[in-house]
Amino acid sequence: MVTPVTDSALPAWRTLRASVRGAAHERAGLPNQDAVRIVRLDAGRALLVSLADGHGSAKSFRSRSGARLAVVVAQKVCGHLFKLDRPSQIKRWAEEQLPLELVRHWLEGVNRSLQRQPFTSAELETLDTAARQQVESYPSLAYGSTLLAVVVAPGFILYLQLGDGDFLTVSAEGEITRPIPQDARLIANETTSLCSPKAWNEVRVRFQTLAGAPPALILAATDGYANAYRDEAGFQQVARDYWELLRDEGEEAVRPHLKDWLNEASQQGSGDDITLGLLWRPVAQF
Amino acid sequence: MAKRPGGELATRPLHFIWIADCSGSMSIDGKIQALNNAIREALPHMRTVADENPNAEVLVRALKFSSGAQWHVSQPTPVADFKWTDLPADGVTDLGRALGMLAEQLRIPPMSDRALPPVLVLISDGCPTDDFNGGLRMLMAEPWGKKAVRIAIAIGEDADTEVLQTFIGHPELKPLQANNPEALVRHIKWVSTAVLKSASAPASQASGVVAGLNVPIPAPPVTAAGPQSADDVW
Repeated sequence: MVTPVTDSALPAWRTLRASVRGAAHERAGLPNQDAVRIVRLDAGRALLVSLADGHGSAKSFRSRSGARLAVVVAQKVCGHLFKLDRPSQIKRWAEEQLPLELVRHWLEGVNRSLQRQPFTSAELETLDTAARQQVESYPSLAYGSTLLAVVVAPGFILYLQLGDGDFLTVSAEGEITRPIPQDARLIANETTSLCSPKAWNEVRVRFQTLAGAPPALILAATDGYANAYRDEAGFQQVARDYWELLRDEGEEAVRPHLKDWLNEASQQGSGDDITLGLLWRPVAQF
Repeated sequence: MAKRPGGELATRPLHFIWIADCSGSMSIDGKIQALNNAIREALPHMRTVADENPNAEVLVRALKFSSGAQWHVSQPTPVADFKWTDLPADGVTDLGRALGMLAEQLRIPPMSDRALPPVLVLISDGCPTDDFNGGLRMLMAEPWGKKAVRIAIAIGEDADTEVLQTFIGHPELKPLQANNPEALVRHIKWVSTAVLKSASAPASQASGVVAGLNVPIPAPPVTAAGPQSADDVW
């Protein structure tokens, strides 16, 4: 659950993650359709946290697999960043090629899955005629998922996002920012997706060269977390509170409670699956 | 356990809005009273559906239109507290004005971007007498107007189903025809239960993949007494 990454050139980032099944999913007998993965890249010098939120609608009946595939693909594709030499090359590749590669690898994975396991009549019989035709003519819809990923490396931080979900960062001074702004189009449970046509055009990338101090904490979460709070201020407070707990009381003040807090947020808020990834630098780094 | 991080938690609001035709023709053959009765009868069913999904906060309003338009219940009211006061019928059919007023209320703010898709239920027995297209344009210019679940019920043979279909905006979803009080009760109950239940389910949908409704709407009940039935009174 906790993955420390240290290197002489990289501040000692630590991580926490948790994922809970949504309260509404429990009532409906549906599984948690989110996925999360934290891995080291570049021989341990960099860290990747990736989250995915399978759509869970009737037509996206394999979205749990689609989300798991998404975080695996993120690892594979982001690994290429460290085969490039200069930050300008990395930035350019991340902004221009990485979205294409992510979508291409994800679709290849979907096709492999379909070859191994074609749709069954049990999966299709729950759909009405129109929905069934849509899935049969557009099979990746069954696997639809979002993806959020953040790579922290000694010289840069890369954020990428396809679909709904949220990144928040906290500076050492407690200032909260959104490295990737909210997408005003994503309301009413509609989201851009890895299964969208030309999905690479919908991938939003933010590359930050680390000239000064990196954030003290980076929070990545599927949309069930922000939707659990009455307003944006209440959600931004989440990141500030995590940072203050980790800074003042340490990891043990957070880790044992994380799932309970997410369950509470789902039960009393959105009802949706909630997945959270936290990266932070212990206070000795400042 | 330590204090949970973050501010106040809240379930997601689901705005359910009745848009009722109160023109003079609604007073003929007891249509307005049948509508009043049908909505009143549907409320306990709405409350049951709302109770089944505690993560959606169902908030109900009503807008009436005749000569002009006016909020009949202006405040988004929790369904548990919502009471129906009978609508009177008089005047013409200013539906365009009603849609313009609706558009104002569907802006962000006062709407929240974390809301569930609103459900708009239009019930009419006639043809608009004002600028319907202008009102609809205003509604569809708002993101929540565009993303709302729009249902229409046609009362009687004189209802302009073409206008109602334009309001719905999706060819796969047709206006529901009510030519007698029983059919009206059945349709009102369906939107108050099946449609409300679908709109309050939080499953995400991939945008841009296929055309169609952003909220899957179950098939309406088969009309026992179809058009031109012996039971028809409207």
